[in-house]
Amino acid sequence: MTELWVAVGIALVALLASIVSVEFGVSIAIVEIVLGVAAANFFGLETAPWVDFVAAFGSIVLTFLAGAEVDTALLRAEFKGSLLVGGVSFLAPFVAALLFTHYAAGWSWKAAEIAGVALSTTSLAVVYAVLVETGLNLQRIGKLLMSATFVTDFGTALALSLLFIKPTGWIVVFVVVSALMIWLLPKISPWFFRRYGDRVIEPEIKLVFFLLFLLMALGKLSASHAVLPAFLLGLAASRLYTEHDLERQRLRVVAFAFLTPIFFIRSGMNVSLAALGANLGLLAALFGVKLVAKIGSVLPLARGFVGRDSVFFTLLMSTGLTFGTISSLYGYQAGIIDKAQFSLLVTVVVASAVIPTLIAQRWFRPRVEEREDG
Amino acid sequence: MFEKILVALDGSEGSQKALAAAVELARTFHAELHSLAVEGKLPAYAATLGEVDEAKAEKDAFFERIDREAVDFAAQHGVELHPKKMVGDPADRVVHFAEEGGFDLIVLASHGHSLAHRFHLTGTADKIVDHAPCSTLLVR
Repeated sequence: MTELWVAVGIALVALLASIVSVEFGVSIAIVEIVLGVAAANFFGLETAPWVDFVAAFGSIVLTFLAGAEVDTALLRAEFKGSLLVGGVSFLAPFVAALLFTHYAAGWSWKAAEIAGVALSTTSLAVVYAVLVETGLNLQRIGKLLMSATFVTDFGTALALSLLFIKPTGWIVVFVVVSALMIWLLPKISPWFFRRYGDRVIEPEIKLVFFLLFLLMALGKLSASHAVLPAFLLGLAASRLYTEHDLERQRLRVVAFAFLTPIFFIRSGMNVSLAALGANLGLLAALFGVKLVAKIGSVLPLARGFVGRDSVFFTLLMSTGLTFGTISSLYGYQAGIIDKAQFSLLVTVVVASAVIPTLIAQRWFRPRVEEREDG
Repeated sequence: MFEKILVALDGSEGSQKALAAAVELARTFHAELHSLAVEGKLPAYAATLGEVDEAKAEKDAFFERIDREAVDFAAQHGVELHPKKMVGDPADRVVHFAEEGGFDLIVLASHGHSLAHRFHLTGTADKIVDHAPCSTLLVR
């Protein structure tokens, strides 16, 4: 298949995913993953080197956006609780999945580490959608959930960046340049935005892309991953984007129109249905490990913080999507996990976005005052 | 015969017809006319906050516009319309609002604007008809 036909195929899948997403009210990311699975497994859609490259960049842009979406004021207000709940919510499933995949499933330590990272995540966006829809984002339970999720995300980004480092001289350069960027961006960007902002040629987006590509290049040279500095860079820019919401929207437009569809479709294309069919028991076990570890660790703490809504709280902390997919794709593209392992992890990640959310909304939704507008 | 009428709005062509019927009934029976527009679900299982924020902003703007247009339409026909917006499950909200408000008629379109609703056998209209505390008029 020529590269141009690959582009045609992916563009068609992206278009169909948008239509399905609008008509059925389901997030575009999940539809893109599912249609990517179908396109590769039933219609023979193949990939190309440029697709892998754009997908990798899409994952870094998603990570930057996740950092830029952190509400630092909220995090400060709920710091102690969120550090405790978010930290445990990362650590317990990480250790559980690491040990299970290594000792019970026979995965290598490195592959098990990818499993640990991918299954430790909590999806901020899945949580946020439920909270906004119910009006709980304005109540304490919602604020604690959001801030604890920021901490879990941070743990995931930290683990993904640190676990796979091979110590070379480049790592020093990577760390120093990353620290400089994170320190300098909030300082220079107000001037940069004033001087060059609000133009159709978008110098602000080009600045962000330059920094993210530089992080990716240095990450590769140092055999690490740019996910942590990209997340922190986004975090450093979060206040700036709060003041320049239009710029954040424009960055989202570029990301959602081109970069993230390729990332999610490519992730779906890597999933082998045959491998899933041959490992259904392991698939169920991995899902169980994530859920049991999250419930076992978060529920006792949640009881202390939110009382009778603790099950709802815990189930939402058990969701995962974007960071789980990013971690799995990194592991696959770096040759740490194979196609079958990738297929299992991404399927569990997608299932964890859907199943705990459905259960939480259906049976454990807290009673709140009805939210009315107008 | 009817003293307090509630019309459910979702911006679809069907809901325009429901509004026209409700306005006509309100004028005929000198009834009080209220509308309820329910902002349905946000994208389930989103990957970024941006997707949720923008969907919410789009819904807010959309429903503000249909409320405004409905009030203008009713006024043109000599009826005062009292609009209301809520967030949540449309069927639950309409039924609950009708119960609380003591309405004696709910007017709504037989199907909404999304393909999912159109082909869903137990859609919003069916749920409202099944659980409504008063008479319902389904407009095709």
